[in-house]
Amino acid sequence: MLKISLIVFFLILLFSISLLYGLSRRWKRLASQDSRVLLTGGGTGGHVNPALAMAEGIRNREPETKFLYVGVKGKAESVIVRRAGYPLRFVLSQGFPGLRLSPSTLLFLIKVSVGIFQSMILLLWFAPRWVVATGGYVSAPVILAALLLKSLRIGHTRIYLHEQNSIPGQLNALLGRWVDRVLLTFSQTLSFFPKNGVLVGYPIRGSITQKPREEAQKNLPFRVPADRKVVFAFGGSQGARTINRAIVDALRFLIPHRHKVFIIHGTGLNKSFEYDASKDTERRLQKAYSPEELELIADFYVRQDYFHNIGDVYSLSDLMVCRSGAGSLNEISRLRKPAILIPKANLPGDHQVMNARAMKHAGAAEILYEDTIVEDGVVLEKLEGRFLADRIMRLLQDTDRLDEMARCSGTFLRRQAVERILSEMYEDKAYNNGSGYQALPFKPLLTNGQLLAFLSQSQARNPSHYNPGNLLDDPDDLIYYRHRAAGLLSHNAWQDRNLGVKLIGLTLYSEKIPTLLHMLADRTPVSRFKEFLGGDFEQVGFIRRNVLQALRILNRFDGEVEKHLFMALEDPYFEVRSQACVTASHFGFFLSGQEWWFHALEQRLQDPCFEVVIEAALAIGELGTDSSALEILLRMRESRYWQVRNAALKGIQRLLQRKIIVPSRELLTETGTFVLTSTDFRPHFAIKETYKNLQKYCLEQLLGERPADEARLLVERAVRKHSS
Amino acid sequence: MIFEISNYLLGISDTFSFLRLVNYITFRSIMAALTAVAFVLIFSRHFILFVHRRSLLDQVRETGIDSAFDKRGTPTMGGLLIIGAVLVSMLLWGNWKNPFLLCSVAGMIWFGLLGLWDDLSKVRMKSGDKGMSERRKLLLQGLFAGVFAWVAAGPFSPLGPELATKLYIPFYKHPLLDLGPYAYGAFIFLFVLFVCNAVNITDGLDGLAITPSIFVVGVLGVFAYVEGNRIYSAYLHYPFIRDAGELTIFTAAFVGAGLGFLWYNAYPAQIFMGDTGSLAIGGTMAVVSVLLKQEMLFPLLGGLFLVEALTSQVQDKIGVRWLGRRVFYRAPLHHNLQHKGIAETKVVIRLWIMSGILALIALATLKLR
Repeated sequence: MLKISLIVFFLILLFSISLLYGLSRRWKRLASQDSRVLLTGGGTGGHVNPALAMAEGIRNREPETKFLYVGVKGKAESVIVRRAGYPLRFVLSQGFPGLRLSPSTLLFLIKVSVGIFQSMILLLWFAPRWVVATGGYVSAPVILAALLLKSLRIGHTRIYLHEQNSIPGQLNALLGRWVDRVLLTFSQTLSFFPKNGVLVGYPIRGSITQKPREEAQKNLPFRVPADRKVVFAFGGSQGARTINRAIVDALRFLIPHRHKVFIIHGTGLNKSFEYDASKDTERRLQKAYSPEELELIADFYVRQDYFHNIGDVYSLSDLMVCRSGAGSLNEISRLRKPAILIPKANLPGDHQVMNARAMKHAGAAEILYEDTIVEDGVVLEKLEGRFLADRIMRLLQDTDRLDEMARCSGTFLRRQAVERILSEMYEDKAYNNGSGYQALPFKPLLTNGQLLAFLSQSQARNPSHYNPGNLLDDPDDLIYYRHRAAGLLSHNAWQDRNLGVKLIGLTLYSEKIPTLLHMLADRTPVSRFKEFLGGDFEQVGFIRRNVLQALRILNRFDGEVEKHLFMALEDPYFEVRSQACVTASHFGFFLSGQEWWFHALEQRLQDPCFEVVIEAALAIGELGTDSSALEILLRMRESRYWQVRNAALKGIQRLLQRKIIVPSRELLTETGTFVLTSTDFRPHFAIKETYKNLQKYCLEQLLGERPADEARLLVERAVRKHSS
Repeated sequence: MIFEISNYLLGISDTFSFLRLVNYITFRSIMAALTAVAFVLIFSRHFILFVHRRSLLDQVRETGIDSAFDKRGTPTMGGLLIIGAVLVSMLLWGNWKNPFLLCSVAGMIWFGLLGLWDDLSKVRMKSGDKGMSERRKLLLQGLFAGVFAWVAAGPFSPLGPELATKLYIPFYKHPLLDLGPYAYGAFIFLFVLFVCNAVNITDGLDGLAITPSIFVVGVLGVFAYVEGNRIYSAYLHYPFIRDAGELTIFTAAFVGAGLGFLWYNAYPAQIFMGDTGSLAIGGTMAVVSVLLKQEMLFPLLGGLFLVEALTSQVQDKIGVRWLGRRVFYRAPLHHNLQHKGIAETKVVIRLWIMSGILALIALATLKLR
């Protein structure tokens, strides 16, 4: 029995080895004889369209080429690819849920394993000469299967991976190391793939070209008056809520300029339960404007949910307002248009922000960031219509700047992307895709945690001259970081909100002070269970404490701040009360001489928590304006905690410095009655001091003073600390 | 070793009759303690230098308290000295056929090695926060706790089948209830995990962990003596546990080693015990308490460890991670006292006093039942 099964086993083994050998020979033969190309990539149109553009290019060169498109069922490719007429097969795949032990990770592993197996069969059967992938999680199993077969010497194919964004996605960054060529859109990305990256640009299908205005006008259902500047605002094929709403809001501010501008608005096709692009826009218009105003608006504003001949609209326009996905940027660049970009925040690697920044650095665009706000209990991204209108008008009136931007836009990205890619594939050296373009020194944005570590270190070093703008290389970064921090404030987890509060302080985002104050005064209670364990409000103690710290860093004082600060003195959480006292003495210049503040602080001296008493005593030293302050402080001479007595003495010293009281014999006698015994002391280790001095001396001699490097070192250290 | 040799010689001839002394537990205990003290005092300096030369220095955790700064670079892993002293002393004076001794030594060595691994990885990562991951640490601790729970509550328990699964509480003569092997096993499992981690948390200031440990282990030694003695146990209404007297010798060696270690660990410390020491001490205390059926005495006897562990866990898990506020000013207890403005030396001595009082109360339960 055993013998038979062994023989059967060996026979099966022999059979499968010879089958694989046969398939491998067949693959080699087929791949060298005909042109066979396997395309993959999808999920969104942004991944599918470049693949189709490349296929178009290959077909123009070799019309008999056989194509096979591999995608995932029910995604963008199943519609677009069918319409384009390529044969389509499906495999299983799923987005990467992150490295942790969870059911979704297990499902991911199972699906991708099955997907790899399916892809292997497809590859062995189709025997492609090239595998062309455009990213998106669809392409992962196909690339993995191809790599596996290649490494087993069964596959005879070359793998090309096209990366559309300036920051590669996780899977692309990983798989890109092993494929034959990574075809890149942005020069920044070269630093991710130093060995096999080539800069080719973004392949676009042939239909979009610049036409003269008259010709473009022909196919459109509306007429644009001749002397108007045209703005085309759109949020991609699906539409973007932020942009749609901002445009509607901006119209009010554009009415005075209605004889100069013309707005073409593509609202997008999104009709999900959550957001219906065209209906929502319509409703917003009706709500915000009176019929008379709507009449005025109709004069310079047209709206449509989708433009089938988008090339014509582009040709008409003088300025774009859009998201900064790779596809949009490339179309804009191809037609040499200037743009106002509104990047979508909090995407993986912040790639829309990075794309937008790349275009801005090239001089072709301006960026507006969206705010995250809570409106009627729903978290939304929002852009103020006023800002948008203001920016649009400023650009349209500055014709020189607009022309300059248009020129820069034209040179921003590589042209002839399809031709360049083909030259890479056929290896005919028709284009030079390597040299001439250096990998730009690429600095990824800091994560919120890294940013916090970096800024708080610098702030602690030099609190009086702290300015985050000087610490970051690019002033744009700060603007984006501010918006990102503000976004955190509306998160559900208090840990995120807490981080947001700290970052708003450290990035000096003073426009958000009202929000911070609102959080400080928010009295929404937590659940009963948490309350039982000692919790109090939704904006937990740490948040309220950090709001007060942020207020000190922000260093802005007005009536609202004063009102909230006064309330914080009575907060149920002791750290908030003590920080309120610290903040009060920080703003002592504004508060001194105000009777109610003095009394409130005096009451804090009775606080059950000694931390609060200490800070209150120091604050009284800062705020007191007559000898009653001295009397109050002298009363603490027998306090139980030495830190309180110490603080009282410090307060008296401060009163002396501020010349509220003058030195006198009585003062000496009075302070002499303080209990000076203490339960604490600072040890002094002579040998450690000596050693430290020696080291410091040596280091100074070796390095000299280099304050400029200090900031850089700080960033590196913060990043390392966070990532390790 | 000496125990075996002496008994062998006693069997050969009457000339060696003075060697009968080794059959007295008190004599062997005292000798074991003295040996352990001598061992630590003799080898400490060499050990400290050895550790210093290898740069096996303490890595500071960021606690936000100033005084921790001055402690950077103190040699660590002093636990090895304690473990070494106990082992050498027991090699000389112990009866290695005794299951109680074997269990306790196994616990000490397992937890010691675990702590050593943690210490070494902290040194390698150059950070006091990044030793062994918490999960792995708990897993390895749990492995021993599980095996030990089986030994103590299972069919081969050194305590005998009648006693093995009964639960005794202080101030009450009779067993409170018989938990049965599974519930009692689970209880032992949790108890071991809790105690060893409690000592680990307490080990935060110079000399803070070692002296209370000496108190606890010393009192447990007295209990071992009573319970291992047929007459005293009958008089004090304790279950007589045959062979448990051997634990007196073990605990005596431990107390000796602890005293020797305190010589160098007293403020300002020249060496820290590290996780090697704190886990080994915790593991030993847990194992010995279980073997003497004094698990429920531990919350009283080791009250300091209990409070330290609870404050730390409440502050971190409930307060900072979940409620978003501090429940205490700082945690664990000793940092809270420091934060209130009490110097390290004073905190340590006050906590010694507290743990001494608790040890006395625990000792009083011998008679107060």
